[in-house]
Amino acid sequence: MPEQNRIQKIRNHPGSASFLATILAIFSGLLLGFLIMLLAGPSAAGNGILVVLTGGIPVALNAAKQLGQIFYQAVPVLLTGLSVGFVFKLGLFNIGVAGQYTMGLFFAMYAAFSFPLPSGVHWVVCLLAGMLGGALWGTLTGLLKAWRGVNEVIAAIMLNYIGMYLVDMWVQGNTAMYEASRARTKYIPASAQLPSLGISGSNLNIGIFLAIGAAVLLWIVLNKTVFGYELRATGLNPDAAVYAGMNSRRNILVTMLIGGALAGLGGACTILAPAVIPGSSVTYEPINVIAQAGFHGIAAALLGGANPLGIIFSAIFISLIRRGGSAAALYGYRLEIIDIVIAVVIYCASFSLLIRELTEKIGQKRTGAGAERSEMTKKHRTRKESGMTDRGKKEGGDTAWIR
Amino acid sequence: MKKRIALLLMICLFGVMSAGCAGREAYEIALVTDKGNVDDRSFNQGAWEGVVEFAGEQGISHKFYRPEASTDDAYFAAIELAIQGGAKVIVTPGYLFEVAVYYAQLAYPEVTFILLDGTPHTADYAIYETKENVAGVLYAEEEAGYLAGYAAVMDGMRCLGFVGGMAVPSVQAFGYGYLQGIEAAARELLLPADSVRVIYHYTGNFEENDTNKQSARAMYASGAEVIFACGGAAGKSVISAAVEEHKKVIGVDVDQRYDSSTVITSAMKGLSASVKEVLESVYDGTFSEYAGKATYFTAANHGIGLPTTVAAGDNGTAFDRFVHFTQEEYEAVFSRLADGTVDPVRTVSVADAGGIATAEELKAQLGLECVTVEVR
Amino acid sequence: MEEYVIEMRHITKRFPGVLANDDITLCLKKGEIHALLGENGAGKSTLMSVLFGLYQPEKGEIRKNGRTVKINNPNDANRLGIGMVHQHFKLVENFTVLENVMLGMESCRFGFLDRTEAEQRVRELSERYHLQVNPDALVEKISVGMQQRVEILKMLYRDNEILIFDEPTAVLAPQEIGELLQIMKGFAAEGKSILFITHKLGEIMAVADRCTVLCKGKYIGTVEIEKTTREELSRMMVGREVQLTVEKQEQSAGEEVLSVEKLTVAAKHGKKPAVHNVSFSVRSGEIVGIAGIEGNGQTELVYALTGLLPVAKGKLILRGKDITKASVRERSLAGISHIPEDRHRHGLVLDFSLAENMVLRRYREPEFAKYGFLKKDAMEEYANRLIARFDVRSGSGADTVVRSMSGGNQQKAVIAREVDREHTLLAAVQPTRGLDVGAIEFVQRELVECREKGNAVLLVSLELEEILNVSDRILVMYEGEIVGEFDPKKTTAQELGYYMAGAKQTGGTAKEQTGKKQENKSLEASGKEEG
Repeated sequence: MPEQNRIQKIRNHPGSASFLATILAIFSGLLLGFLIMLLAGPSAAGNGILVVLTGGIPVALNAAKQLGQIFYQAVPVLLTGLSVGFVFKLGLFNIGVAGQYTMGLFFAMYAAFSFPLPSGVHWVVCLLAGMLGGALWGTLTGLLKAWRGVNEVIAAIMLNYIGMYLVDMWVQGNTAMYEASRARTKYIPASAQLPSLGISGSNLNIGIFLAIGAAVLLWIVLNKTVFGYELRATGLNPDAAVYAGMNSRRNILVTMLIGGALAGLGGACTILAPAVIPGSSVTYEPINVIAQAGFHGIAAALLGGANPLGIIFSAIFISLIRRGGSAAALYGYRLEIIDIVIAVVIYCASFSLLIRELTEKIGQKRTGAGAERSEMTKKHRTRKESGMTDRGKKEGGDTAWIR
Repeated sequence: MKKRIALLLMICLFGVMSAGCAGREAYEIALVTDKGNVDDRSFNQGAWEGVVEFAGEQGISHKFYRPEASTDDAYFAAIELAIQGGAKVIVTPGYLFEVAVYYAQLAYPEVTFILLDGTPHTADYAIYETKENVAGVLYAEEEAGYLAGYAAVMDGMRCLGFVGGMAVPSVQAFGYGYLQGIEAAARELLLPADSVRVIYHYTGNFEENDTNKQSARAMYASGAEVIFACGGAAGKSVISAAVEEHKKVIGVDVDQRYDSSTVITSAMKGLSASVKEVLESVYDGTFSEYAGKATYFTAANHGIGLPTTVAAGDNGTAFDRFVHFTQEEYEAVFSRLADGTVDPVRTVSVADAGGIATAEELKAQLGLECVTVEVR
Repeated sequence: MEEYVIEMRHITKRFPGVLANDDITLCLKKGEIHALLGENGAGKSTLMSVLFGLYQPEKGEIRKNGRTVKINNPNDANRLGIGMVHQHFKLVENFTVLENVMLGMESCRFGFLDRTEAEQRVRELSERYHLQVNPDALVEKISVGMQQRVEILKMLYRDNEILIFDEPTAVLAPQEIGELLQIMKGFAAEGKSILFITHKLGEIMAVADRCTVLCKGKYIGTVEIEKTTREELSRMMVGREVQLTVEKQEQSAGEEVLSVEKLTVAAKHGKKPAVHNVSFSVRSGEIVGIAGIEGNGQTELVYALTGLLPVAKGKLILRGKDITKASVRERSLAGISHIPEDRHRHGLVLDFSLAENMVLRRYREPEFAKYGFLKKDAMEEYANRLIARFDVRSGSGADTVVRSMSGGNQQKAVIAREVDREHTLLAAVQPTRGLDVGAIEFVQRELVECREKGNAVLLVSLELEEILNVSDRILVMYEGEIVGEFDPKKTTAQELGYYMAGAKQTGGTAKEQTGKKQENKSLEASGKEEG
């Protein structure tokens, strides 16, 4: 009997419903992606999508290395995803994650070139500098939101551009950093590069542990601490948070600071990654483009349901299909097609919430098994509807787009 | 319910997948672009045209790959991907590949590499080494510059500008050749001493930006009738300055005729010709001619030149933007370069650490008499 | 048999852990007002949701005019002529009344909305049933009572014959309740059948023909109103005898706990302050009741007191300490407990568990937090203690997500939290709103107990009966000012009503004119207020 109860409990747990929905969302994305590949190059579409889905591991020259690269490239996605997901718990949408990431990247780079420190200390300082940079940029959004009431989305989009242009300007103006003849930064000193995990041919480094550690830490903060409690309360019901005596300004600021620091750490981990080619390093090109990692992070947060532990998996998944997509070039697909396919898969995956409702609706038509779910859907719906009358008046009704 | 939908989706997915299953094709000749695509009207496009021309004639499978980023690791990864895709010969257009190719030649000795405009070296520049599976292709930029300078003066211009990016060897060589070509034309026209003025400037970068545009405008304002724009994307700044000032531009590397009507001609590197030539040697067994070293492509083997043909659909001729200079005159001077009658100097010993020569250095070492140089 | 328009027979509906409806039968005659009575969580709303197609029952059947029908969704219900006014209105706030009524039934001409015809019908219906609704008014600008009438109009517009009212009077002021009951009688006279969910016995006695009583998901019985009494109904509903009036000890008030001095609070809109120059005090061991019609500044007064709204002018002194500028947390720590008016908006985080909600005001105390970490065990234990003491019913105890609980139990949770924590002043705003008699009895006893423990209680309520019943002293608020102070033993509901409507003010400065204006206003209500 207790066994049965447990199964029942697992089945009824909202998490398992959202997990199924996520899987379903991913499948529909893959199907759509497959159709696109079918249009672009019919003969190889089947293999192409399989390669995307398997991260290119089966066709790789060196499977261990390919796996390493998947985890390596998951690091910035994971960290930016955590940033978005964490801030989202407060009910804010951190679209400024790209700017914070770029700032972190620059600060880390600056520390790498400007502070000649012994190896073993240098990269630690650079990581901290990166977090500082991201935190500063995130806090700026937070300040605007908390004290001037500026919508964080607008402020963050502006700050994305400001940050990107500032960094590009600073990089180009810094001769210690910039190699004009190649229009990119110089090689990061070896002492500032993160310790590699020693998979030959792979850039995989301790960043992955840092990122996963950050995810676990965030989960603990959110679920076990007073601060996390306040954060969730504010995100779920800002009015009740005020009623409970929570300091919403401080919470906005601290949350944006942490979110920014996470994104900044993502930027730092990207630029400080050890290179495969000895003596070289990752380099940054100041070409006035907003960092892609930010948008991948948003996708990871959506796919992971804004849950830090969920984002670990979604970030690895996004990295996996990106690696796979790159390998799909072997089947004659151009990078542009692959980009579209990946975007479609991620986009559909982000719709998992919608799909969840859809399937519940179908389930609801049948009595019995569907009933308990329909109850959930109903709750969800009435919440939205009552939002029109009960809560429509209050400002900041921008919290409801994902839970 | 949900499970059923999932199952259904899966069946759909695998059903359609098996319908669209085909084996992987191997692509024997591969090109990895440095940035962007093969339609960049620059190195990628020039080199890719050579690949397509040769592989098309021979019926060999070919494909280009685009790296995901422009870091050495990303270039190396793209090269590996090409090898994974069955590549036996890989063309890498541009010096940005120098480090990646250095390691690729060691890691994949069975693969042949053609590196354009660069020499393989380690990341720290400590070792320069070109292995037996690599053909380095360099261009005699001084000859291309010579032709450009010669043509401009023969066309009647007496005040000319030069805008280089950074004073790196290839850009320097373009500039030195340009000055020598100007001097040669002036002497041929029996112009008096110091009758031709050249304004000489390095922007210090290869970017399209306002500063570069303003210095080009200033150059036009102080009398330059044409500017030889020799600085990558900085050339775009020169072109927009020329458009505003109604002046002329000489393009570089590839035929820039179609970028702007202000471009009268271009000091071209024969990218497609050189790529094709090396590829031919790979397949006819004479690759040893190029293997393990850098080969200069010059006028003698059509490695450089001014454009002589126009794209299909263009009703003009390659020389229709000159007032006086003709194709006959061009062919005459080109043959003098090709047969070695004229051999422009490629290097000048420069005191400045940044490689920027002074007017005196240029005048003395290049033997300029009819030409005065003003270095900005 | 054929005399019934709707028969719900042997309806069983189960939710995880709860049998919400257990074999319930309800038959509705044509032209009758049929009350559905039961405590919170008795299954009234579930039963009506089944009828309206929101839930599918596991067992049982529904017949209309003797024919079995299947109602899969509200659209099906609509086609069968069944309409429902929900407790929380389903209106689009920034649409006009007309647009809201048309929504879902828009008549179009060449792809454009055809308003004229619809408007004419709405005006006609409004006039016929004395609804006095202005079709062009924006919904967000009209009063709650008017919004409810818009909901009623929606049903009429769709020619519904069976009208379900889910606790319609819970949100209304006393006058509005009277008017609504009249409207409902009018419908019944026209041959429409009405299902009326409520737990206010007085309303049932006033309008209903018959009454079906549910208790804990079970069918208790159906009675003719003419042949029953309040006492019998409440016994059926609660399952035991209920005390309808609160008993309290005579007790003299002690020292002054709260002193409000010339308090002025700015209004959200408009120049006139919401609270103007109000002074009063609350002493320990006394319950001060504030009576007034909704929207006369009571809400703002309490918000200013608890720190949710800033004080524009004046002073707030709590036990000799000036708290005028103190933050919400500081006031809370100084001993103010607050049962908020809107439990969904302020009182609870609906997606939190019961345990998490129970510590919403105390989570920082060492009892529940150490080194910045929450003590989950302590929270759970505490929640279980409150659940037991205050009889808060929920699906899975302290872990229950509050959103899934019934309104009454949500309110009990808020009250439990605010009453149990150490406090010197309890500000209770409409603490019994939406509760059934059993729960009301409980809440009122808790208030009295607070008083007996020597705490000060400030009670704001729209229910005159409650104010009279519970308070030691009564203040009447009208247009942001206190217009009178009364001893509950020496006054009547009648007298208070006059003051609440602004007809009289103490000190002889009765403003007859304003009073009339107000009366007109409440009659025509705010249908014409949109300017």
